[in-house]
This record gives sequence, structure tokens and C-alpha cells, in this order.
Amino acid sequence: MLRSVAMQIPNASPQGRPRAPWWPGLAAWMAAWALMLALDGHVDLASQALLLVPAAAVAAIWWGPALSATTIGLAVLAFNFSFVPPRGTLAVDLHQHGLLLVATVAVSGIVTALVARLRRLASEAEAHAQRSDDLRHLGDALRGHDDPLDGEALLRRMLGRLSGTDAVLLVVSAEPGADSASAPERWFGQPTSAEQDDLCLCVHDGRALGPGSGRREEQPACYLPLRGRQRTLGAALVRLDPAAPPGEAERSHAQALCDQFGTALERAAAERAAARAHQQAQLQSMRSTLLSAVAHDHRTPLATIISAAGALLDQADRLDAQQRQRLAATILDESTQLARITDNTLQLARLDAVGLDLAKDWESPEELIGSVLRRLRQRDPGHRLRAHVPPGLPLVRCDAVLVVQLIDNLVDNALRHGGDGGPVEITARAEGGRLLIAVRDRGPGVPEALAPRLFEPFSRAQPAGGAPAGPGASRRGTGVGLALCRAIARVHGGELTVRRRRGGGASFELSLPVDPLPAPPDDAPPQETGR
Amino acid sequence: MSPTVLLVEDDRELRNTLRDALGVEGYHVHASASLADARALLAHAVAEGGLDLVLLDLGLPDGDGEALLTQLRRDRSTPVIVISARHGDDPKVRLLDAGADDYLVKPFSLAELLARMRVAMRHRGMPLRPAVVRYARDGLEVDLEARQVLRDGAAVHVTPTEYALLARLVRSAGQVVTHRQLLADVWGAEFTEHTHYLRLYMGQLRAKLEADPAEPRLLLTDPGVGYRLVEPAESAAGPHLGRG
Repeated sequence: MLRSVAMQIPNASPQGRPRAPWWPGLAAWMAAWALMLALDGHVDLASQALLLVPAAAVAAIWWGPALSATTIGLAVLAFNFSFVPPRGTLAVDLHQHGLLLVATVAVSGIVTALVARLRRLASEAEAHAQRSDDLRHLGDALRGHDDPLDGEALLRRMLGRLSGTDAVLLVVSAEPGADSASAPERWFGQPTSAEQDDLCLCVHDGRALGPGSGRREEQPACYLPLRGRQRTLGAALVRLDPAAPPGEAERSHAQALCDQFGTALERAAAERAAARAHQQAQLQSMRSTLLSAVAHDHRTPLATIISAAGALLDQADRLDAQQRQRLAATILDESTQLARITDNTLQLARLDAVGLDLAKDWESPEELIGSVLRRLRQRDPGHRLRAHVPPGLPLVRCDAVLVVQLIDNLVDNALRHGGDGGPVEITARAEGGRLLIAVRDRGPGVPEALAPRLFEPFSRAQPAGGAPAGPGASRRGTGVGLALCRAIARVHGGELTVRRRRGGGASFELSLPVDPLPAPPDDAPPQETGR
Repeated sequence: MSPTVLLVEDDRELRNTLRDALGVEGYHVHASASLADARALLAHAVAEGGLDLVLLDLGLPDGDGEALLTQLRRDRSTPVIVISARHGDDPKVRLLDAGADDYLVKPFSLAELLARMRVAMRHRGMPLRPAVVRYARDGLEVDLEARQVLRDGAAVHVTPTEYALLARLVRSAGQVVTHRQLLADVWGAEFTEHTHYLRLYMGQLRAKLEADPAEPRLLLTDPGVGYRLVEPAESAAGPHLGRG
């Protein structure tokens, strides 16, 4: 609704004011004259003459000052001829009637002048209101569009009111920093080649050309620059009607419209540039994340794999079957870990990317945890993993792949660092409109120095102060693992925190929002599967 | 006669490793590194007596493996397992819906691949005639002909919807069935977006059939893709097992 109002153009003539009809003035005069004829002989001459004053005042409402003054002159002469004795002549008895006639002319003139002045003020106020309306309409329209260029038709129509034909626009590349000489140009409307040259000149100088501008006064058209705060982003051409050149107020109004458009273009360009810079920065940070991952986390498993495989190849005949088995198992373990790190790094980079689409669906917490358990059981021969998942938990709307990856990383982390052989618990419960999933171990817990940076990528990097990390801590870091976990929690509107457990160990706690579920299925008999 | 497998994989190391490993398992392997090569081998193998399985990589030097899947699905019902380095689950679901029998994301273990191959070959010809009508594993028995569900020998009462869901999974036992396929087959084509139905009914089925519903061993979840009823015990494969 607002948009359609904004796009409407108030209907008006090129000069912005409708031409007044001539006949009501004439009617006023004729009525006055008829009354004078009717009253002739019944009232005195002064009363008759008085009727001229309201007729002049009423006519002045519709007529211009020149026509009004002429009519007053003629009417007084006619009055003199028709009613002032001696009738039928223009002769006047100066002592008796001269004063009456002069006073009538003067009063009618003054009243007419006052009415004309009132009319001018009203029409100026109207034009002023119209101009502020235009500016507001254009502003609304420009705000309503993502690209100000979508508002070009409106600007062209508004400028066209100066002449009756739509204006021509030239918009040069709106990208800041671009070389203006090589900037791509966009034209709206059909300029001749001479007009094109003048438009380009106008953009280049950033100043108006044409009548009233002080430059190229002889031109049959106005050239107005589309100015932003810093630069000129284009120009508008308004071909003029030679019979009705625009006034100063109209010209400066047109320039104001052009400047409003130019400012909008400039702002949009700045926004585009900022978005690009933001994207660039994200790309940069993604690149550095990937590089750090390779530097920190890929080399250790790779070194282990290379030496184990080398041993298998070079020393095969000197190793017994059990040793060979162990080396092969090492290779498998380390490659699996490498695959996990790679998955995590790629996923984190993807989450950092702009405009990520989450594949959200209704998921059951039982299933999410169940699939993590199934995957990690193979690595859990001692049955350290224990799940406490009560029935009847609410479904959550999330990206299953991401949330499984999150829980999987937490559990893997707990199995790896949660103390030798200690139990690892996964619990889930619903509380206050949120789903809480916790992964707890009985390991050494998170070192005090590391805790604040635990969820930053590569937090394993030297603890503050350069103190050597303990033997257990050397592999405590998960590279990007925990950073990814927190990122996944947050893109779902959730949070991931860690706390020390009473009695030792760490508890990683994930909280996810629970949305209201759509209508459950009505348990009608399902169609039989005809397969 | 050993089963014949067409392996389409452009990475030389992986191709050779898989060929050797499958050879050791008793498969006769044709290996190709490109789409054109694979098409030629396909024609040749068909002339020689048919293929039992295709292992298909997606990103090939002369095109996308998806094109071959389309061609294979048009001409014959040879099972196809897609192996791909592509991450993210959209292509996975799309390819399964397009007729791939299974999908493995690199890196995968050999044991996983062999298990999937066994299942895919068991289901060969399935669109025409269900290969699996009886299912038994870990104390669960389902007989589709008798419409019976037994848990440790005792009959389990399941609602009609639960039964329809279970029967659909039994028919594809060991294979992943996408959410969309399940919803369309059990509830109807207009319900393919109602994933929450599935969650609720799978939860009910697990509560009735699994020893520990929180850690399912029969009704498995493939996150973001679908469900898989675990491969049946070999002895219970039923009379229809074998080459069709």
C-alpha cells in the first residue's frame, strides 16, 4: 500500500498549477451590471457605483491582474456613460461625481490587487507543497528499492514536468574508486549524440548547463548533474518547452530531485562496496583457518601415517604378524582422525561463508544421539559410552548433519581426553523451552589457562606465558573441533558451554531452542504400499 | 561364477586399491577411469553376460557420473552404488531418489563398501519383485506374507501405519531409504515434507522393537538422508535370494 502511494505521481500541468477558467469573472461582472440596471432609478448613484467593487473583487479571484485592471477601467467608463448624468456622454460633473468615480476605481483596484496577491501566495504555497511532496515520493521510492536505479522512471517523470516529456538520464558506474573515464555508462531514454556529449560534460564538471545555470544559456534543454556527497554519479537532461521556460524555483527543485537520486546512488554503491569488502575479509579468514588447520593438525597424523607405512614397507620381513597388525591399525586410526579434522575444517569454513543455507528439518534427539553412538561404538571396546536419553523428548528443528557432527566431536573429544578408561556420559533433557544435551567425562578437565580460549580455533597453541604443556595437554586441543561445535550451536540459535564437574572432569553442554511442532499426523489407516 | 563389478573411478590409487581388494573378495572387476571408458566397458560386459553391480564415482574427467546413473536406470536395473568425495547431503538424497541403490562418501572403509555391495546385490531386481519378504535379525522377525512382527518369538502389536513403515524398510533391508521415499510410500505423495510424522512413528517403532531405543541397532538413522533397517542375518534371507 505504502509502495503504491509512493509511486503515484500527482497529476499536474507542466507549470504545476491548473489554468483558471475565465467565465466566472465574466459572470460576476454581468451579474453586477444586471443589478445596476435593475436598481437604476431606485437607489442613488453612489450605491449603484458600489456594486462595481464586489464585481471587481470576485472577478479577480479567477482573472489575472492585467485583465482585472483593464476591466475595472472599462467598467468605470461604461458606468459613467450609462448612469452618470449627463447620460450617454463621458462628460462628468467634477464637483458632484468625479470623486465618486475616482474612489470607485481606487477601491476596486486595491481590492483586486489584494485578491491577486492572495492568489499568488496560495499558488506559491501549493507549488511548494507539490515540490516537497515530490521529494518525499522520490525518497520513499528510493528507500523501497534495493537498487536506486529501479526508481529511474519516477525521477524521469518528475523532471519531465518542467517540459511535458520524460527526462533522459545518464548514470555512470556507481562503484567508488572506479576510474570515471572507463566507467560503464547506463542510459535511460534516447538522447541525441550532441545531447550525450553534453550529458557527459555535465557529469564530468558536476555542474548544471542550460538556461538559468549561467553556462550555455542558449541551450534548448537543462542539464542537471546527479550529485552525491563526494562525486557526480550521472546527469539528467530535461528538454524545455521554449514557450514556457522554467522559473528559478522549478530549476532548483529539479536539481534537488537529481541530488536526492545521486545521493541514493552513492549510498547504494557504498553499501555494495562494504558487502564486497566484508566478503573478502571472510574469504581471507577462511583461508587462514584452512592454512592453520594444515599447519597445526594435519602434520602430526600425517607423520605417524608415513612412518607406520614406511615401517610396514621396509621392515615387513623383520616384523611379526602382531606388530604388522598394530602398524596397520595405527595408519587406519590416524587417517580416520585426519578425515575428521578435514571434515571439521571444511564445515567451519562453510559455516563462516556468507549466506549459508541450513538444511533444517524436524529431528528427534534420540535419533541424533543414537547415530553418534552407533558411529563411535566401534572405537569404544571398553563400553565407556553411556547414554541417558529419556523417552518423549521434543523434536527440534535443526540441520541433522551439523548437529550430529557437533555431538560426534564432543564425544570423540571426551573419549580421547576424558581420562583413561573413565566413563563418558551423554544425557539429554528438555527444560524451559530448550533441549539440553550434555557430554560429560571424568578426565582431568579443561586447564584453567585454556578455558577462556577453548572454543577458539587452534586453542592448543602455546598456553600464555609459554609454560610447557603437560603430557596430557599436548593433544588436548581439537584444532577447529570445538570452534566448529560452538559455531554449529550458534547458527541454530543455541549455545555450547563447558563447565568443570564436581569430582573432576568436564561437562560440555549444548542447548538448542525447541520450536512448536506442526500438527501431528491423524492416525488414519495409511494407504497400503503396493509394491 | 564370481559376480562382475564395473568400477568407475578416476583416481588411479583408489581404483587400483579397490580393484585389488575386491579381487581378493572374489569379485571380477572391470575398472575404468572415465565416462566414455565406462560406457564402452558397459556395452562389452553386457554382451558377455551382464553386470552384477556398478560402483560409480561422480566427478569424472569427461563428465559427471550422474549421467551414467541416468543411463543405467533407463536401460536396466543393475544396482549402482555411488562413491563420491562430495560433501553435503543434497546430492546424496537427490541421487538416492534418482535411483542409486546406495551412496558412500569418501573416505570410507573397505568393510563398509563390501557390506553395501552385498546388500545392493541382494536387492537386485527389486522394483519388479520384492527380493525380501522375510526379515530376521537380533530377535526381530518380520514376515511380510503373513503380516507378522515377532520380537524374541512373541507377537508385537503394531499399528497399521507402523506396520506400513516397517514393511517398507524390510523390503529395502540393509539399504538407506530416503525420508521422501518413506513419506511418499507410507503416507502418500502429498506428505513428502512432513518429516515430523516419520520421527514420531520411528520413535514408536523403536520403543516396541529395539532393546534400547536410545541406542538403536536395527532401525538406523542416516542423518539428513533417511533410515536403514540393518542388514538381515544371512540365514534368514528367504527363498527369493539369488540372481534374478
